[in-house]
Parts: sequence; structure tokens; C-alpha cells
Amino acid sequence: MANNFFKTFLLLELLKGLSVTGRYFFARHITVEYPDEKTPQGFRFRGLHAQRRYANGEERCIGCKLCEAVCPALAIKIEIAEREDGTRRTTQYDIDLTKCIFCGFCEESCPVDAIVETRVFEYHGEKCGDLYYTKPMLLANGDKHEEQIAMDRAADAKYR
Amino acid sequence: MINVEIDGKHVEIEAGRSVIEAAQRAGIYIPHFCYHKKLSIAASCRMCLVQVEKVPKPVPACATTVSEGMKVFTASEMAVKAQQGVMEFLLVNHPLDCPVCDQGGECQLQDIAVGYGTGASRYREEKRVVLHKNIGPLVSTEEMSRCINCTRCVRFCQEIAGQMEMGQAFRGEHAEIMSFVGKTVDSELSGNIIDLCPVGALTSRPFRYSARSWELSQRKSVSPHDGLGTNLSVHTKDNRVMRVLPVENEDINECWLSDKERFSYEGLNSAERLTKPMIKQEGKWNEVEWPVALEYVANAVSQVANCAGNSEVGALATPHSTLEELYLLQKLARGLGSNNVDFRLRQSDFSADGKQAGAPWLGMAVADLSKADRLLIAGSFLRKDHPLLAQRIRQAARKGAQVNIVHSVDDDLLMKVANKAVVAPDAMANMLAQILKALAAEKKMAADVSLKEIEAGSTAVAIARSLAGGERVAVLLGNFAQQHPQAAQLQLLAQNIAALCGGKSGFLGEAANSVGGYLANAAPGAGGMNAAAMLAAPRKAYILLHAEPELDCANSQQALSAMYAADLVVALSAYKHHAVDYANVLLPVAPFTETSGTFVSTEGRVQSFKGAVKPLGEARPAWKVLRVLGNLLNVAGFDYDSSEAVRDEALGGKDVLSCLNNTLQGEAIRITPASTGGLQRVAEVPIYSADAIARRAPALQKTRDAATPVAAMHAAELKKIGVSPGEKVKVSQGENTVLMVAAADSGLPAGVARVAAGHAVTAGLGAMFGNVTVERA
Repeated sequence: MANNFFKTFLLLELLKGLSVTGRYFFARHITVEYPDEKTPQGFRFRGLHAQRRYANGEERCIGCKLCEAVCPALAIKIEIAEREDGTRRTTQYDIDLTKCIFCGFCEESCPVDAIVETRVFEYHGEKCGDLYYTKPMLLANGDKHEEQIAMDRAADAKYR
Repeated sequence: MINVEIDGKHVEIEAGRSVIEAAQRAGIYIPHFCYHKKLSIAASCRMCLVQVEKVPKPVPACATTVSEGMKVFTASEMAVKAQQGVMEFLLVNHPLDCPVCDQGGECQLQDIAVGYGTGASRYREEKRVVLHKNIGPLVSTEEMSRCINCTRCVRFCQEIAGQMEMGQAFRGEHAEIMSFVGKTVDSELSGNIIDLCPVGALTSRPFRYSARSWELSQRKSVSPHDGLGTNLSVHTKDNRVMRVLPVENEDINECWLSDKERFSYEGLNSAERLTKPMIKQEGKWNEVEWPVALEYVANAVSQVANCAGNSEVGALATPHSTLEELYLLQKLARGLGSNNVDFRLRQSDFSADGKQAGAPWLGMAVADLSKADRLLIAGSFLRKDHPLLAQRIRQAARKGAQVNIVHSVDDDLLMKVANKAVVAPDAMANMLAQILKALAAEKKMAADVSLKEIEAGSTAVAIARSLAGGERVAVLLGNFAQQHPQAAQLQLLAQNIAALCGGKSGFLGEAANSVGGYLANAAPGAGGMNAAAMLAAPRKAYILLHAEPELDCANSQQALSAMYAADLVVALSAYKHHAVDYANVLLPVAPFTETSGTFVSTEGRVQSFKGAVKPLGEARPAWKVLRVLGNLLNVAGFDYDSSEAVRDEALGGKDVLSCLNNTLQGEAIRITPASTGGLQRVAEVPIYSADAIARRAPALQKTRDAATPVAAMHAAELKKIGVSPGEKVKVSQGENTVLMVAAADSGLPAGVARVAAGHAVTAGLGAMFGNVTVERA
């Protein structure tokens, strides 16, 4: 009873609470002030998809359809045909980003590192269908971020 | 019987069988590449190495015969080490880029490498490269570097297809599989080497890079192309047929498929497909909705029936139509009061109608052909008309059956032929009569009185002798004999020959429903006009079911002029064909992959199938179209809910086999003297022109068998008219003339010109039989 009286009278609990506030007030800040600040990303970050090319400009994708088969969300749609030079190429390569769950299976299954997930995560669509990425869009992504993609692949190489 | 123990399991098996067969019986899988149950043993891949007790080294299971008390270990340390070693060697030269290979996902090498190989290869050196060769439009050898030299394709061509068209050239590291230099593989069974190839070295050219095996749905179906009723697996993707593979059925097609059945699927996706109902108004074709088109047809047909008379309506269907379609077509025609309905479009002799004891059929089960020891095949372009039946007979011949041929051409059947009589078409009945007479003498029985005048020649005696020595004799009449103007006589003679030697006679059915048409009652019967009569005396209205009269009928020009003369032609067709010129209405109906239906094969096997894909565009199953037409025309009994209901009504719960009978009653043998002089036409229907679907398959049309027909004659006949082979000639039949290229064929008898029918080039001619004149153009 007396104990309780002193606790209340001397505002011990309030001070105890404030001490936590005080401790954090002077501690190092860990909140990231997005979009002014960004968290660091690993080289295996799984963001927006891209299709890569070889240095000579030839698209890497050979249309093996393994990514389409492995995709658990059925987000990938591929049509293939024989190109004039006799190689196997895609005529359609679409990823529906609204279906995609960013599991990374597609890049893992790709035998030629054609489909990759980049570090880009800030993209948006304004109307229905904007997030349906077609082959030219994916190739453009790849062209834009190739330098970063190549670095990330190189960093990951020793673990594969 | 011999007792063997495999991996501790006890198996009992006949002597002479191999270890791999014994293992199969025990349910134990031994990995293998070169072994195939239908081919001879090569033991070249070494993948099936197993350990056998008391044998110091591993032995190939496919080439080791079982012996009493043998103990086999398929998964012992020795066997596993041998299998892993062999796999590593096989992969030394095999490219490891499975993702670009068309076989990926259905590759035996891929599966076995995962199951029985080691994880990685130690081979770091360069791999062998084999350049591709052009072996024809059907099979791609683009990836020949992938070949593991199992020689299955080589053995197939030699043993099953009958002609060595592929071989292994060079030795050791340089060994490669190829066709003869500069030659293509032209066998009508060539597509099977795609299935046989355990790797991706031989792949389908039309299918190349179009889909992956795992994304295809498989639907069972039945081939509409010939009378065999081959079982198919139709592979579809996104409502489109992507390819066709065989379904194994030992009693019918074994595990094979003819190229026509394998590659004609391309025709299903042809740009010529009719996708909307169309009506011709004031000379212009307009696309209309189904109700409008059906209403129009019902009005127009009933108008003709009412004004010009019921018998002015004629219905013609191809025997490639389903049983349900044929049944509803004849029911519709009969409901309109017309008995003019027929499906035997290429037949020219209908004198057997009303005298048949039942529907004409093969006379035996297809599987019995393999057991026959003496065969007489009359009037059949066997290899081209019945590729898989020919294969079966070839196997019988390999086992010692004697094959005797009576025909008007001497095509290479790629099998051992005991005797052959190559005679002009009008001498065919005479030749059979000679055989009959010689056979009677051989059997010491009295010959028919009508044969008194007949003198049996040496060939006839040889054939009779061959037949007389048999225990299981089969006398078969091919398409040519069925289309022959003396078909009934030929049937009667075949029947008598078979009866004399205790064998069976029968017909090699031309199309999927050559038997089914009779069961569906789609033949005219009493008071009706048959196909030939309907075209000879043009009707006012025709209903065409899948038929292209100028290509599918016995007399193309007559058929065509009947169509032009008619007031109303309603064409139910899957394709926009020549009918756009003469038809009034085109109704798009579904081909066999897009409808449910039934085919009754030439051995009387009733096989129903379901649609594999949805009908293209506005096309609808023909049985549904006919059902609605029946309703609109107020014909009673047209309230079917399903094609099964139609089938059950058509077959009426009858035992189909009891409806089949080749006996001809009330017909006597009449020997007519051979015609004097003139050049007789021998018309085959080229293999890839025989039905609407195959005609529109681009890859098939690039094959050698689909080459433009030539006017072939014996060199002496050509000399008579002063033409050398390769020159242009004018072929005329009555008033009809076409221009063709002359060719010499030393296998043809004198007085015969071989001019194909069923082809656009010769559609300008008349009847498939009869006299033609050939002169320099």
C-alpha cells in the first residue's frame, strides 16, 4: 500500500517511461527517410524484371520456356517461332507484374541469364494494363540497367 | 518356359527372349536407347548393361537371351558403374544445350541422364559437329550433332518401312546418320523416325520450335484418313492443334503412324478454313449469321423439294464424314422424301447394291493380316492408300507369307512379292477368273461353268498354286478394285477364290467410314439414286457434306457440271473450296478434331472420339448443323442432345460385326471380253490428295508423293505417239482435255496410261476408268 503511494507520488512510472524516450532521443537514428534516403540493396534484390542482351546486341533469350513453366503465379506468357536465321526465338514475351509474386524462380531457371530481376522497385502504372510488360519493354529495361545487372551477376557468380 | 531371377524377382518367360524383355515382364525398367520392341537388336548404345551372375563383365540386356536359372542384377554396383560410364560417354559428343532443343522435356537421353548418369561430365574438350542434311520437308535433321548413333531410324527404314533410306556413314568418331547423298527420305512412314529418335537429332519439321511438350494437352482421337482407324493423340495448345502422335494399339496401328495422319493436322489450321456461314446473293458472297443461313437453306431446299419434286434433292457425303453426320444426312434426305443419298463418291459400279448380304468390310480383323500365310491383293495402290496395312503385310511377308498381286501398275511394294500379274484394268476380272480356274484345278474341284472359256496363264497358275498351299489365306480388294467399273465381278471372283482355298476375302476400306456409311444407311437403297446416277442425271438441289465433287467423285467433270447445272448447292464444308464458284450457301462445319463422332474402321471396329479443340470461328459440328436443319424442315425425330444419341440410334444396338458380310448374292460370274485397243486410264488418288485435310497440309504438299501428277505410260506406248518423257502432252477423255507432262514407266502394261485423279491438275478430266487419248501438245 505504502509502496504504491510512493510510486504514484514521485511519478516513478512516468520517469521510467520518459527514460525510454530519452534513450532513443539520443541514440543513433535508424528510420530511413524515404524517398530522400533509401535502404541498401543486396545483389540478389528482386525488383522489376528485365531482359538482357549480349554485348553484340543479340537478345539472350532463346525461348526455352522454362521460366514460363516454373512461374508459380502463371505471370509469364511466351510464344516462340523459328527466326529467319534458324534460331529459336520468342515472338512474344509478356510478364504480368500484377500477377508476379517476385519469387525469382524465373531468373533462377533461366539457362542464359536472359530474364533477370533488377534493383528497380519504384515503378507504377496509372491505368489497367500499364503493369503488363511486353518484350520490348523488358528489353528496354535490360538496356537501361545492364551495367548494374552485370555487376550483380558477377557478384553472385561465385555462389552459383 | 524358362525361370529367371531379376533383382530378386522371379520371372517365367519363353526361351529365346532377351533379358530386357524378362525385366519388362517383371516390371523392372532397364535404361536403353537402341533397343525397341519392334526393331531388330543392335546393342550399340550399351546403356542396358546389367550384371549377370557368374559372368565376369556386364552384358547388354537387349542382346542377352535368358537361360534357365539366370540371375540378373540391374542395380548392382557393377551395373550402376557401367551405366554411369556409358552415360558419360554418350554425353561426350552430345551438346548440353537442352533449352534450345525441340526434344527438351520429352527426351529419353535427358531422362536417363538424370536417372542413371553422374552429376557432371569430366569431358572438357571440343564436341563433334555434324552438319545437317536436307532429308525432306517432314523430318528435320537440323540438330544432327545430337545423334547418339543408336541406329533406330536406320533399322526402322530397313525393317518397317521396307527401304533402306537412311544409313550410318563413316566410322568411329566420324560416324554419322544420313540419307543417301543428295537424296531425301520419301517413305510414307518416315515420320515415325521422329518418335523413334531417343534424342533431338530427328525432329518434326512443321512442329519445329512452335511449342514445348509440357504445355500441350493431349486428346485421344481417331484418324479420318484411311479405313484402318488409327488411334491418334492430338496435342493442342490455346485451342489449336499443334501436332499429332500415335497412340499405341497393337490390334490396329501398333505404335506407328503414317505421314498423312501425322502431318495433315497442318490443314486444320489452314487459311482456307471457312469460319462464317456465307450466302451468295446476286453473285456476291455475303457472310451471314447462322440462323439466317439455316433459315435460307431450309426454305430453299423445301422449295426445290416441293416444286420440282422430292427426288430432285441429292445428298453427297465423303466417306471421311463421321457416322453421326452420315446418319443425319441420310435421315434428312429421306425425311424430305428423297432416297438420293450416297457416300461412295469414287465408286463407279453399283450393280452390287441390293445383292450384298451385309456391309462390305475387311472380312477379318486387321491383326489377322499379320498371321496370314498367303495373300492375294487385287487392285490396290497398297503403300499409298493403306500405308500401315502395307506395313503389316510387309511384316507378314518377312515372316514368310507369300504375297500375290494383281494390279494395273507395278509399283514397288517394298516387300517380297511371290507372284504378280500386271494387267490392264479391263483384264483384271479376267485375271482373277484365270486364278479361280487354276485354283479349282489345283484343288481338283470343278470350276464354275462360266469359266469354261477361260484359259489360265502361267502367272495365274503360279498365283493359284501359292494360294492353294496356304492355311490362312486372305484375298483383299483395294481402292482401285472398289472403284473399278466391274467392282461387283471382282468382288464375286475374290469371294470364290477365297472360298476355294478356305480363306477370307475382303475390302481394304478407302476412308474412315467406308464401312460406317453402310451402317448409317447412307447408301441410297431401293428407289434412290446412287452417287454416279445423281451426277449423271443432274439434280436441282445438292447437299454436299465435306465433299469437293471435282476431286472426290469418280467422274470429276461430270460432277462439276452437275453442280453448275443445279439450282441450289448447299456445301457443308470445313474449307472454302471450289464450291465458291457454284454453291449458293456455304456452311462452315468442323473437321474431326473439332467435333465428336464415330468412325467404323474397315475391320468393323466402332471407335468414338471427342473434339480435341473448339471449332474454329463460327464453324459448328456438322451433326449439330444437320440436326437444326432437320428441325427447321420439320422432319420428325431430329431432337438429339448429343452425338452419342445419334450414334446409338444409327447403330440401333446391333452387333456391328453381325452386320458385316462380303457375300454377294444372286450375282453370277460374267466374263466380258477385254476391250479392243485404245489407251485405258489407270487413276490412282495421290496419297496427299485423297481427302480435304491432307490436301491443305503445306508440309505434305512439299513431299515427293505430292509432286504434280504426270501422264505415265510404257516407253513403247510413248514411242508410238512420238513423245519422249518430260515432254508436254495433251490428255483427253471425251471432250475434256488437260495438259500434262509425259513420263515413262516400264512397270505399266501396254495400252495403259497412268493419270492420277483427285488432283487439281487432272480435275479437268472425266471418269477414273475408261479410255483416254494422249497426244503431243
